[in-house]
Amino acid sequence: MCGIVGYIGERQAQPILLNCLSHLEYRGYDSCGIAVSDGAVKVYKDAVRVAELKKTMPDFDGSLGIGHTRWATHGEPSRVNAHPHGDCQNEVSVVHNGIINNFLKLKQQLTSEGHTFVSETDSEVIPHLIEKYYAGDLEKAVERALADIEGSYAIIVMGYGENTLIAARKDSPLVIALGDRENYIASDVPAVLDYTSRVIYLEDGDIATVTAGGVSFRNGGKTAKRSEHKVDWSVEEARKGGYEHYMLKEIHEQPRVIRDTLGDWLPNGEPFEDLKKMSEDGTRTLLMLGCGTSYHAALVGKYIAQEMLGLPVRAELASEFNYHGRALPETLAVTLTQSGETADVLMAIKRLKDVGCRVMAITNVNGSSVSRLADHTIITRAGPEISVAATKSFLAQLMVLYWLMMSCARVEPKRQAEMVLQLRHMASRVTQVLDSEAEIAERAGYLAKYNDVFFIGRGINYPVALEGALKLKEISYVHAEGFAAGELKHGPFALLGREKPVIAVLTQDATHQTMLTSIREVKARGSPLMVLASEGDDSADSLADFTITVPRVDPLFSPVVNTVTLQLLAYHIARKRGCPVDFPKNLAKSVTVE
Amino acid sequence: MIKQAVILAAGEGQRLRPFTVSKPKAMLAIAGRPMLSYVIEALAKNGIHQIILVVGYRKEQVLDWLSLSEPSGVEITCVTQANQLGSAHALAQVEPFVNDDFLVLPGDKLIEAATIAMFINDGPQAVMAKRVDNPGRYGVLTTEKGILKAITEKPKDPPSNIINTSVYAFSKKVFEFIGPELDIPDVLNKMISEGVVISTCETEGVWLDAVYPWDILSLNSVVLQRLGTSLGGQVEALVAIKGPVSIGKGTIIRSNSYLAGPLVIGENCDIGPNVCLAAATSIGNNVAISPFSEITNSVIGHDVTIGSGCLVQDSVIDQGCNIRGHLIACSGNAEVDIGDERHRVTVGAMLGEGCTLDYGVVAEPGVILGNHSQIQAMRLLKGRLPDRSLVL
Repeated sequence: MCGIVGYIGERQAQPILLNCLSHLEYRGYDSCGIAVSDGAVKVYKDAVRVAELKKTMPDFDGSLGIGHTRWATHGEPSRVNAHPHGDCQNEVSVVHNGIINNFLKLKQQLTSEGHTFVSETDSEVIPHLIEKYYAGDLEKAVERALADIEGSYAIIVMGYGENTLIAARKDSPLVIALGDRENYIASDVPAVLDYTSRVIYLEDGDIATVTAGGVSFRNGGKTAKRSEHKVDWSVEEARKGGYEHYMLKEIHEQPRVIRDTLGDWLPNGEPFEDLKKMSEDGTRTLLMLGCGTSYHAALVGKYIAQEMLGLPVRAELASEFNYHGRALPETLAVTLTQSGETADVLMAIKRLKDVGCRVMAITNVNGSSVSRLADHTIITRAGPEISVAATKSFLAQLMVLYWLMMSCARVEPKRQAEMVLQLRHMASRVTQVLDSEAEIAERAGYLAKYNDVFFIGRGINYPVALEGALKLKEISYVHAEGFAAGELKHGPFALLGREKPVIAVLTQDATHQTMLTSIREVKARGSPLMVLASEGDDSADSLADFTITVPRVDPLFSPVVNTVTLQLLAYHIARKRGCPVDFPKNLAKSVTVE
Repeated sequence: MIKQAVILAAGEGQRLRPFTVSKPKAMLAIAGRPMLSYVIEALAKNGIHQIILVVGYRKEQVLDWLSLSEPSGVEITCVTQANQLGSAHALAQVEPFVNDDFLVLPGDKLIEAATIAMFINDGPQAVMAKRVDNPGRYGVLTTEKGILKAITEKPKDPPSNIINTSVYAFSKKVFEFIGPELDIPDVLNKMISEGVVISTCETEGVWLDAVYPWDILSLNSVVLQRLGTSLGGQVEALVAIKGPVSIGKGTIIRSNSYLAGPLVIGENCDIGPNVCLAAATSIGNNVAISPFSEITNSVIGHDVTIGSGCLVQDSVIDQGCNIRGHLIACSGNAEVDIGDERHRVTVGAMLGEGCTLDYGVVAEPGVILGNHSQIQAMRLLKGRLPDRSLVL
């Protein structure tokens, strides 16, 4: 998914385009660029976010321009691959959202005709096709070029000194917004709502010629009429897709994230060779690194790796790892970072590389710094995450870790087959958790009045307790702490009491009995007790003040359903306490300083 | 020309349980897509791009689908009806969003572009009518020279076989008539009694309703009749494909499988080897079907796994079910009780979402199994079982 915008009018185009683009970052933000024309086309683009581009770019004069913000799923985000793209003479400039299926054939043909390509993108064939067909009329050239293209597109074209923008769409969204002696074009309405609320929706196959004074349409070689609509909703509303907060929207995207991850792997998932080799000789250790939520994913990954690969594994905070002494073990490191820019992780990777470690990175942002440093990068399928509190990116990391470890697993084939089967049901199990949101919200109402909340778990659900506490503290400002249940008696017991509720994550694995013991001990201290228990497990019912039932899954996958439950719990507590869920105070989405 | 449409998608559809426990009726999947998507497509094809969608019951399901699929060529505003008190109450919620004359459509009926193509040229106030075989299920229209005289809800002795399709064209005037009335037909009867002329327009196009769980199968079959072939996945050697078959990307069909269309198979499925899929079957995304299973005229949801040696006919299996193997769900004549109604139908099994069926389960025709149930090996299922049943 990418976002595109266009402006034509009497004002300076550059600031308007940058503002419109910033509203489209929910569609992607790994690279962006704009082109402005005052007769000659000037282009500025880079593999950075819009705010960064704004800081570095020179002032371009011109009241006609186009812009693009990109989310690459294939091909690296880089300055050359960023849009807008141009032809050989830099006379025409194009932004494109969509996929051109026959681009290889077109590129070969154009190259043989003498055209020079500079990027690896499919989109670049469009300006070259337009160049090929241009004979004094830009609209005709675009129409002719699009006839050669198979695939989906929303495009905006400007060039040859013409004072028009040409827009066209097929199977990708595009709207034209009408201003006063100025007009806008965008992938989506929110981009332009700062300026106007009058829009025209393009239909598939439409080619629109947009000038400052008006718009005309053609479809299938004939003139077409399109009517104007008035939009009466706000930017925020539109982007949150009907949800009150991005966080809730992103929590609800998790079944999709799971299906997408499995879609990448299940049909023909190749084992990761470095890891496979290690699990076969079994002597060396695996190191897992992350910060914040990604560290919790690393901790879960440690349990998965130990069970599936039988390898000794260390999981460490990247921010602490950097202060370890010189003696780094010879090892493979798996590093996790949502943004791919986390300073501590980058530093850790450099240190590991210096001593000859192999480094794998798991990140959500293609082309981010981490992918340039690591030997091997896996991109998680969460998509752009806007809420500061990580939800779907954590789940996407877990899914990658499950698959990574399973593809190299040294377990019986029967167990392996059973695991794959369970993974197929995982999206539905998460949907089941989401369906019980009303029940979870009710429990949240009960917890919202407390100012200290403790989370406890054991085994693979210890990191889940940490993550539950992190979610709660970061968005609701409640003092929340996660403990390994066995550590309670080594100190935290002193804190328990009637005003300090405890949330226990109970799973039907080897930890079940000892976890019940911990729950009894907590109960004896008088703390209000809430237990997350698998469906059909009533062993804690008589002890708990409240239970939340989670779907029954293999214990190895229990972090998935338990985490989603705790995400919803934290969200509803924050909401009941009136906190600004998506943008908590003092926190930034990615931490690029040490 | 009407520019705005209101789609009512807040309703539950209680008689469709267990399939509507976690989703509104409008989100029932027919040929791999929610019913609502067909209504939206029908509007877009008729040049109506501004849609106000009334959501309520399990609205998250609608919102998630909208943000995932981004239906093309339409602008959708969602309005929440917190309590589903009735269609007129739902309509009253959208008054601030309506600018001019507008259409009202049900989000939970199967409607195609051709169904409403004629109707949208009629100005308000108007009701779209349709001749059906079983008018007693619906509001039956009494008309005189195309003018509506009365609507009688679910009459025992229907005065005609022309029914209310729940598709209307209104001007903003309609809001003046919504008082304590909770349903639109009551509002229409009130308008008639106060002298407002309401015209009727009969459609010849597709208009189908799912009232009972087995209706999902007939709707699915109707939509599949119009299917074209598109092979997005990977088809191994020695797979036979007859008739129209649509296969999603990432799906693999393994050797010696036999696919007799019309069939829709979703994305990232793993099917075969030696699986037989026969018309008219829809299979969701991320489904695995193991060797020697045969599935005919059925609807299988997302994330379902079906083990070896299963026979599934005229059945609905909702998302996330884990069928271990050797399930027998044959079609046959059954008497099924829905509420206090008894129906005689020819149907297989209807399994709610998230069920686990261990090896060798036999389901009698007409079984309705509640969501998240667990059935041990070698058990016989009959009648109706509530959600979270344990059959040990």
